[in-house]
Amino acid sequence: MKGLTTVTDVLTPPAATAGRSQRARRGHGRLRSSGEVIALLVLLLVFTLLNPGTFATLTNARTVLDQAALPLVVGVGATLVILMGSIDLSVEGVMGAAGMTFVLLSANSRGGESHGALALVAALAVGLLIGLLTALIHTRLRVPTFIASLGVWYIGLGVATLLYGTEGIPNFSDPATANWASRLLLGLPHSFWLAAAVVVLGLLVGRYTRLGRSAYALGADERIARDNGVRAARTKVLVFVVAGGCSALAGVLASLQLGAGSVTLGAGTLFLTIAAVVIGGTSLGGGRGGVARTALGVLLLTVLNNGLILSGVSPNIQSAVSGAVLIGAIVAAAWPHRSRLRVVK
Amino acid sequence: MSAPEVVRVSAPTPPSSPDPSVTTPPALSLTGVTKSFGPVHALKGVSLQLGRGEVLGLIGENGAGKSTLLKVLSGVHEPDSGALEVNGKPVRLRSPEDAARAGVGIVHQEQSLLTNLSVAENIAMTSGSRAKAATRFGVYRWGHLNRVAAQVLARIGVDVDPRTTVGDLSFVDRQMVEIARALQVDTGAHASPVLILDEPTSLLERDETAVLEREIRSLREIGSVVFVSHRLDEVLRICDRVVVMRHGEVVGDRRTSEVTEDELFRLMVGRDSRATPSERRSREDGGTAVLQVEGLTRGHAFRDVSFSVPAGTTTAIVGTNGSGREEVVRAVFGAEPFSSGSLRVAGKDVGSWSVASAVRAGVAYIPSERRVEGMVGGLSAAENLVLTHPGEAKKGPLLRPRARRRVAETWFEDLDVRPRQPELALERFSGGNQQKVVLAKWLSSPDLKVLVLDHPLRGLDPGASETVNAQIRAACARGTAVVLLPDTLEEALELGDEIIVMRDGEVTARFDTSRETPTALDLLEKMV
Repeated sequence: MKGLTTVTDVLTPPAATAGRSQRARRGHGRLRSSGEVIALLVLLLVFTLLNPGTFATLTNARTVLDQAALPLVVGVGATLVILMGSIDLSVEGVMGAAGMTFVLLSANSRGGESHGALALVAALAVGLLIGLLTALIHTRLRVPTFIASLGVWYIGLGVATLLYGTEGIPNFSDPATANWASRLLLGLPHSFWLAAAVVVLGLLVGRYTRLGRSAYALGADERIARDNGVRAARTKVLVFVVAGGCSALAGVLASLQLGAGSVTLGAGTLFLTIAAVVIGGTSLGGGRGGVARTALGVLLLTVLNNGLILSGVSPNIQSAVSGAVLIGAIVAAAWPHRSRLRVVK
Repeated sequence: MSAPEVVRVSAPTPPSSPDPSVTTPPALSLTGVTKSFGPVHALKGVSLQLGRGEVLGLIGENGAGKSTLLKVLSGVHEPDSGALEVNGKPVRLRSPEDAARAGVGIVHQEQSLLTNLSVAENIAMTSGSRAKAATRFGVYRWGHLNRVAAQVLARIGVDVDPRTTVGDLSFVDRQMVEIARALQVDTGAHASPVLILDEPTSLLERDETAVLEREIRSLREIGSVVFVSHRLDEVLRICDRVVVMRHGEVVGDRRTSEVTEDELFRLMVGRDSRATPSERRSREDGGTAVLQVEGLTRGHAFRDVSFSVPAGTTTAIVGTNGSGREEVVRAVFGAEPFSSGSLRVAGKDVGSWSVASAVRAGVAYIPSERRVEGMVGGLSAAENLVLTHPGEAKKGPLLRPRARRRVAETWFEDLDVRPRQPELALERFSGGNQQKVVLAKWLSSPDLKVLVLDHPLRGLDPGASETVNAQIRAACARGTAVVLLPDTLEEALELGDEIIVMRDGEVTARFDTSRETPTALDLLEKMV
């Protein structure tokens, strides 16, 4: 009996098995993210061939990057939230409230003087506060983030509507502000540079800070993370505040792109962002993925939308195509694990 | 016996090393600790002491109260009464963080690593000064983190890159990381940290066990260890002293130099009970086997397990945690896969096997995790009862609440379920009454062939146990084949027509109680 066991021990050198599985798993991970890069390259190639002279131009590249800026900024916050296994649906409400705050505190057609940088600070503060509100409803009142942020979404819209009041549309009266987003720096629009800065910050937070790593830990298994000394409530609050800040910045950017204030300037951003996060490969269950993947997802979706427009596809069909792409990407991502998913809710 | 003395005298004693005999308080001291879960007294006044630099073995059968004791020590459960002292200071451990702060660390039997993070992060994340050093103003110092982790891993001779994601490691490597994490106890913060190892070797290969043994012995220099294991030879080799638990009490406390495996066996089992001779017909003329399991195998979990259960008989499978018996019966019910071997129910090969096909074939399963797997807590007791086999409670696609109530009332009467309110949510019943409803759910099947019982009496009071047992015997008498994972060896000896012993995923012995009557000791010898 003992002899037999020894033989089995000899036959299964653990180190070798470990090495093999490591290589296999790592290789798989590389394949997954390079899949999105390949998809992006294929899209670029196909649209270049379909639209000679209109798609692959510098002007169009600027358009795409300008359009990608908004979902990129929101996507950084959304990624951190989703990594924790939570979700933040309040994006569009925060954008409305923060954008409106920014417009009304800047020089605008309703009169009033410009408060300069204070407008930006106030707008961001609105976002941080709304993020804090969501987080506290979640951690203190133990409401799931799905519901908490859904409610806060409409609170944000309410705040924006109140600020909007009953007067006419507030337009930026300073032309330097009104066209800031599309003005170029080193050949690329300001909006893109802003988004790029946020993405780089997001990457650093996700990789190099206790906050980011705690978010990953919570997403993997909150109980184990707590037992390991991760401060769950504190991490959640901070991540939602960060996400609120990202949404607020996106609201400011959206109002700059629009040149005016609007309660609903965030409309459509939520779907686009969450779709980009998921298509990038961040798991909605939390724990896996990252900001870089989201950036890739945003570029994929933006190029797709832009290419479809240039190719003359009706805007009515475009949203259906985006939806189908989202579902297709999720099925593809979950395909290797489908046999292990016993319960899907 | 005198060997440790010699070492202590001849070795250059560090000046700070305390003399354990006189002034220093014990690293850990428990006095009269009790803990009850409802009617079940898991700990009935446990007192024990762990000296500084001592390795204490803790053994006992399943259900002896070891796990409850460990949960009390690691802050998961607060004791109902009794006192805990760490290094002479009275402590209240209300959470695992409390325990960690007091200097008590634990390696759980189940792995508790975050699989999406790197090895280094998992090792350094635990609270303590190392974790603080790993970040500066909230920013990670990856280089420092990886160096610290590499040192800790090197100490126990594990060749794992600290940058590897834990999910990419083999199971054995993960276990070693887990141990590495617990071993990096903070020697600065606590005069004498206490490390609890809950069956750390049960899943390790032999050479890795040797590494661990060496490491545990070297831990004496910085702290004390409570070592829980089912392998008595290991306990005798590694530990200085052994505490034996039975039925929630400490029944033996021996120095390992003065005790034999046999004596420990006897202490664990208590009165050595013998199997009740099976009065039923002998297995040979006992008609066809309802359940036939042949060469069932799945990786390391279980290998080449075969048994067959004729109609109206009970096969009890005994074994320690990690013996693979739970996995085997879950595979029989289709709840877990198996890679090779065959399963036949009523003579028919089951082919592609799942819970759904098992239920259709007339197999029933009472899981040990009743609350998680056995019931839908939010639904009423009546709804739970007719969930699997609706019978009269369903006509075509429609459910018939009144018929359901009638069915439930009959069962409530038969099984004496209290309170007699079938429309109450099942989660609001007591454990024993929940178990009766779970049992009734399966017994109401018109075509019950095999009843698989995974610790059916766990946590039940004597009255409920008797009712459940009577129902099992009645089902057996009606010709159902029963596979039983008993809580205690006594249960196996009392109920089993055949008793199968498993260890490390393999069948090590089988006893036909119509021909021989093994004692608990006979079983235990094959288990550990």
